[in-house]
Amino acid sequence: MMSGAGSFLAGCSSSTTPESKSKNGEPVGPGGLPMARPDRRVKMPLWEDPIDSGLEPETGGTFTVFNYPAYLYKKLLKEFGEKYNVDVQYTAFDNISSGIQRLASGAVTPDVMEMTPDNLSRAVAGKLIKPLNLDYIPNLSKNVWPDLVSPFYDVGSRYTVPYTIYATGIFWRADKVKEDIASMSQPWDIFWQADAYKGKTALLSEERETIGMALLRKGHNDINTEDPKLIDAAVADLKELYDVCNIKVDDIQYQSVPEGNSWLHQAWSGDPIAAYIYYLPKGTPPTALAYWKADKGQVPVQNDCWSICATTKKPVLSHLWLNYLLDNGIAYSNFVDFNGYQPPINEIDPATLVKKGIVPENLQSAVLTNEDLGSDSLQYGTLTARGQQLWQDGYSDFLAAG
Amino acid sequence: MYRRWLWPGFALPGILWLILLFVVPAYAVVAVGFGTVDPVLLQPVPLWNPADWNTGWLVEVLHRLQPGGTFFGVAVRTIVYVGVALVLSLLVGYPVAYYIARHAGRTKNLLLVLIILPLWISYLMRMLAWVNLLAIDGYVNRFLTYTHVLSEPRDWLGGQSSTVILALVYGYIPYLILPLYAALDRIDRSHLEAARDLGASPWATFRTVTLPLSKAGILGGAVLITLPMFGDYYTPNIVSGAPTTSMLGNQIDFYFHYGGQPTIGAAITVVLAIFLTVLMAYYMWTIHRAARDVPAV
Repeated sequence: MMSGAGSFLAGCSSSTTPESKSKNGEPVGPGGLPMARPDRRVKMPLWEDPIDSGLEPETGGTFTVFNYPAYLYKKLLKEFGEKYNVDVQYTAFDNISSGIQRLASGAVTPDVMEMTPDNLSRAVAGKLIKPLNLDYIPNLSKNVWPDLVSPFYDVGSRYTVPYTIYATGIFWRADKVKEDIASMSQPWDIFWQADAYKGKTALLSEERETIGMALLRKGHNDINTEDPKLIDAAVADLKELYDVCNIKVDDIQYQSVPEGNSWLHQAWSGDPIAAYIYYLPKGTPPTALAYWKADKGQVPVQNDCWSICATTKKPVLSHLWLNYLLDNGIAYSNFVDFNGYQPPINEIDPATLVKKGIVPENLQSAVLTNEDLGSDSLQYGTLTARGQQLWQDGYSDFLAAG
Repeated sequence: MYRRWLWPGFALPGILWLILLFVVPAYAVVAVGFGTVDPVLLQPVPLWNPADWNTGWLVEVLHRLQPGGTFFGVAVRTIVYVGVALVLSLLVGYPVAYYIARHAGRTKNLLLVLIILPLWISYLMRMLAWVNLLAIDGYVNRFLTYTHVLSEPRDWLGGQSSTVILALVYGYIPYLILPLYAALDRIDRSHLEAARDLGASPWATFRTVTLPLSKAGILGGAVLITLPMFGDYYTPNIVSGAPTTSMLGNQIDFYFHYGGQPTIGAAITVVLAIFLTVLMAYYMWTIHRAARDVPAV
């Protein structure tokens, strides 16, 4: 099923009344765009034509990359700059939401930026990112996993190309945590049984991941629900963790777990790999690290993307940047030499990574494949304005610990 | 004409600075708090004209600040943390300032430099240094277990209120000591000698002369450190990370930086500002009264 985008223009106004439903009563996201789900594919509307094919890349001056801090290998930036004779500048944002806010306010004028599928419709409706001409990005169809060549959230890859892929699970110190988490009937329960690990237990500092985990624990697989009762119940469950283990929230699990500052942490699958490659102290064996993720259909799988910003003065070069990141060698180097977060590239498979020693055998489950995607997979998607408010207020309630 | 405007003209840079970097930004926060949100970009849309103001967000925040509301607990916790940190800062800072002003002699300047020295390093870096010092196997635990103050290492970074309060004290205490020192240093020694000549004991002299005359310094220092403490969010983030030790500043940070309701963040800021204005008004009134009473001393 592919949804259209009939009410797109309505969403481009500066109305201050959030529209949560289309004319036919279907819930819609920002700008009146349909909300993509793995089983509901959405083709984004074009707000302008892509650039023509066959143009020469712009050279000279500055090329600005807007991304999370330390989420890209700086050597690759330098190489790209030398290849096309531009000075590549890396500008960081704290989180994707504040990044989009800064872009929308004109506080930054980057050429390319990291994007997430759940924020895509906002960026498109706000005309913050440009449509792509895939003629400049042959590596997309050549190297990328089949399910992400034309993903459900951006059918035809009109605005994005994928960057990294990760699942949400549990990352723990096997030498400190006694329970066999992977064998538990509901492994998420470990957080509610972590009284022995007080002060050493943490959740991701992300509203969707935190509340979503509490929903999954209770068997609610609709992680995009906007039912206030379900969200309130999930928040109430999370609040039990204050007394159980004085739960913490942060996003530094790739470092805190291997260094032993945290023993039990909700984590993305890229974290144990990054932890093993970069942060495991000398003398600590790789078997001290353990990772679990649920089976397909019960595990949230996300991917990050790249887009070209509407502010770019170098649209051709921006396309070449997207193609550059999908080059087999570049993507692999970014993954194993710096990032730890896996690119969805055909050449990278779990068995090879284990064989090469990039990933230890006990962390093999942290490597994903195209089979982890599909219409029956779970992914945090765009919410209506009302839904977003519900999730945000719920998380605020949890953070306030009142 | 020239003479009439010459001296007031010296205040012009300060006035411009205040308007550009305080009045305008403060009004912008108010305009956002009483504004709306762009439904597509989730950007705040400030309403500059008070006639257009939307009071919904402020009412929402006030509602949540009531007992039983989601912000009540974090507001009480913030007031307690700041109150305890202020008392501890005074207990540590007053004797230090008193010693420097009264007894340091030739080492006075050196001690003042040492008080200011930590400010040469960014607040963030100082707090991160404490994260290493306070780790389970850090130097603080090693020292305390070596000296048998603790029988086993304490998990200082495991989400403890005491760690957050001590970090606040550590981070802000220089700003308390400096105005306190200035106030104590300004006290005319003849007042103290007069008290002693009239038979007052050292303690009575301190209680009835030194302490009242340093009240402006105490209040000035207290205002200087409590204002930023109330809005602090990075200290609990760095040394704790647990929601049970979060402060009101964490809620402001969350609503401003994570998603579609920056207006809530702005409205909390407005409420906090009104609360702090009351404290400031008390300080101003005390200063005014102290100035009025000086001739009577």
